[in-house]
Amino acid sequence: MDNTSTEVKVVDALGITEDSGERIQYIVVKVGSENYGINIAYVDNIVRMQKITRVPRAQEYFRGIINLRGEVVPVMSLRRRMGLDDDEFTKDSRIIILKFEDNALLGVVVDSVREVVTLSENEIDEMGSEARSDSATFINGVGKNGEELISLLDFQKVIGEKEAV
Amino acid sequence: MDVSQYLDIFIDEAQEHIQDLNESILVLENEPDNKDTVNEIFRAAHSLKGMAGTMGFKNMQKLTHDMENVFQEVRSDNMNVSSDLIDVVFQCLDALESYIETIKATSDEGSEDNAAIIQRLAEVLAAGLGQEAPAPEGGEASPSAEGEAAPAEDAGDSSDGSSDKKKYLTYEFSDKEKEDFENALTDSKPVFGVTVFIDEGCLLKAARAFLVFKAIEDYGTIIKYNPSSQDIEDENFENDFSFYFVVDSGDGEAAIADAREVSEIVDIVYEQLDKVPETGAASSAAQAAPVSPAESAPVAENAPAAPAAPAAPAAPAAKTEKKQAPAKKANKPVTSRTVRVDIEKLDALMNQVSELIIAKNSLVSITSQATGEGGTNQYAEQIEYLERITTNLHESVMKVRMVPIENSINKFPRMIRDLSKSLNKKMELIITGEDTELDRTVVDEIGDPLQHLLRNSADHGLEDTATRIERGKPETGTIYLNAFQEGNNVIIEVGDDGNGIDTEAVKNKAIERGVISPERAENMSQKEIIDLLFMPSFSMAKQITDISGRGVGLDVVKSNVESLGGDVEVKTVLGQGTKFIVSLPLTLAIIQALMVEVRDEKYAISLGSIQTIEDIPLDEIKYVQSKEVINIRGTVIPIVRLDRILDLPPKEEEEESLVVVIVKKGDQLAGLVVDNLIGQQEIVIKSLGKYITNIKVISGATILGDGEVALILDANALI
Repeated sequence: MDNTSTEVKVVDALGITEDSGERIQYIVVKVGSENYGINIAYVDNIVRMQKITRVPRAQEYFRGIINLRGEVVPVMSLRRRMGLDDDEFTKDSRIIILKFEDNALLGVVVDSVREVVTLSENEIDEMGSEARSDSATFINGVGKNGEELISLLDFQKVIGEKEAV
Repeated sequence: MDVSQYLDIFIDEAQEHIQDLNESILVLENEPDNKDTVNEIFRAAHSLKGMAGTMGFKNMQKLTHDMENVFQEVRSDNMNVSSDLIDVVFQCLDALESYIETIKATSDEGSEDNAAIIQRLAEVLAAGLGQEAPAPEGGEASPSAEGEAAPAEDAGDSSDGSSDKKKYLTYEFSDKEKEDFENALTDSKPVFGVTVFIDEGCLLKAARAFLVFKAIEDYGTIIKYNPSSQDIEDENFENDFSFYFVVDSGDGEAAIADAREVSEIVDIVYEQLDKVPETGAASSAAQAAPVSPAESAPVAENAPAAPAAPAAPAAPAAKTEKKQAPAKKANKPVTSRTVRVDIEKLDALMNQVSELIIAKNSLVSITSQATGEGGTNQYAEQIEYLERITTNLHESVMKVRMVPIENSINKFPRMIRDLSKSLNKKMELIITGEDTELDRTVVDEIGDPLQHLLRNSADHGLEDTATRIERGKPETGTIYLNAFQEGNNVIIEVGDDGNGIDTEAVKNKAIERGVISPERAENMSQKEIIDLLFMPSFSMAKQITDISGRGVGLDVVKSNVESLGGDVEVKTVLGQGTKFIVSLPLTLAIIQALMVEVRDEKYAISLGSIQTIEDIPLDEIKYVQSKEVINIRGTVIPIVRLDRILDLPPKEEEEESLVVVIVKKGDQLAGLVVDNLIGQQEIVIKSLGKYITNIKVISGATILGDGEVALILDANALI
């Protein structure tokens, strides 16, 4: 498979408009029935579904590894991580490639990518530490975009060793 | 002057000097009369002082200066090397090292002035000199004695050279110059005659001269130049120039020291004069050995005015510089042939080579698909050619990354020496194969595990001296570190002739701690028991060290070595000693591998660990303790069903024969059952990243020619 053609540059595909520094942009993705927001600062790019090489005996929520322009990138299933039904790959399925401070790359599989929203601080409710269910463990706030609620993913928790179940 | 750009070089060179000092002082401790070593130490200390001064690290400069002073007395035979002296010098080196560490972290030396060490240096110096100078005139006599000692030592070349070098004695004075000279003397201002030698390869000699004059003029007035100042400005001189100067304020020695800081200056010869030299005297002085008393007499006479101490550094310092000159020349070709390269740049180069290999592999896979078409032959030829180039390129890059293991083990003799003192055991460290080369990354990482093993040997392996004598062993325990290459691996053996591991005690302890059951313990082989020592839980237990003396942090050693793709083995004979065998892969990034298929997944197995490949009929599989084994040419080998290890569904019906890849780890073998062999391939090893963890059997991944990712099986973990 030709990798370059499967990459969708975030900026082109989603038509991000420049915004003032105070507000944070989130990519809204769908996993199961919920909308999740991923801070755009972490997003390296978004690629279409491709062959994922299974890694035996890895943590159960890792689907495996992919070849991203010659780099080996581990791919995590958000569904498995959150204890939902296993992924069903469709034409809308995407792998979001995240890049963290130490340049480590991580792919997460999502059902579909919907849009980019810009949230200002007063549109975000920080999660109280008491409000925790299994999947809430990975969320550090809820954003309100009009009528819609967006759960904001906290990747410190997602990549942390702590198991969801 | 902004010197920050030289900081890296300074750190590198200072570390080299400190390492050299460590090594030399170890030699000196055993051979206190070794003059060459004393000279080497003096030279290294002197260079360090100069470098620290240039960079503006005053504390460091002060410490090295005092250290240099001590060795200057040693080399001029005014004091002996005492064990006190060795100890305090080692303390100095540790202090210097911590300066360097601080500089590395903050670009500044910090405020620690190590006054205690400087004080001890002074005490050692005083004690040493006190013994050596019983005569009442000792204080004054010693500087002149040095003056004599200097030429006497280097009878052949230097004695002639030193007088020849005093070129300032050969020039005639004009009346005006004579007058200036005499005026200065009547004003009791010190007058110095100086000859400066500039490196032969130096460009812009005039500029160096200018810098020297500028430094001198901070302290005094130059009354005579030779060649004339005009000629010097026009660069009308060979490699040396001379001048006389009158010290107006401060110290003449300091002026010379400042001048010495100018780069490309090979040597400065100088002395303080109390009368206008007669030009004739120089030539006779050059021939006759008794030149020294004549010359140093004025120094001695001046001693009351200018204390002996500052005069003392003069003579030896000048001589060291002289000695350094030929050394520098000898080093020249070496330095011009090597280049310090940032490891990141090499990594980038390595990555590019990796990509080239991946690209080549995809061409290979396209070619194999496109067989039968016209022109394929030629195509294949070109591919082979490309393959040859990439392989060679890979080898060259690998070689650039290879460094001798010496870099990480040269600190060990010092460590063993310190351990010997603190543990009060006699021991010696014998190192062989320090020139064995390994990948830079491995060399950087292997230091700590080896240090751990050596400490283990020194602390727990070797018996105390009394026990050794009782057992009829040599009083001095031997610890050895042998490095050598074996195939695609580098083997480092660390061992001792100590007590060895008491496996019974280990076994009992393991039972006591509930690590193994007594029944299990009955059946354990010697090797299995020793392997217990590498278990993390086991090594945490302090008690075990009381019994067998092994186990603290061995799990860390093992995991460090394994993270480098290597392995640790232990051989021990109770009462005779223990040997840890660390084997490391020569290269990290690119290996030759056998590609195999298990179901529809592809895996790579490093060719280095493969012994043979066998076709085994199903009925030849036997069972030993309900484990599957095969018997190949008399050797019983356990087999590993890869599909089960890799969590793959079992085959619906078993084939009549199995493809078994026999892998080895040390002298152990295992047979890996695969479905299909694909072939041999050069693969680029990629890490799985830090998020996927805890998979022992997979050592990494690689990208195949078709862009697919395949996993690399760690044969060591499967055995």
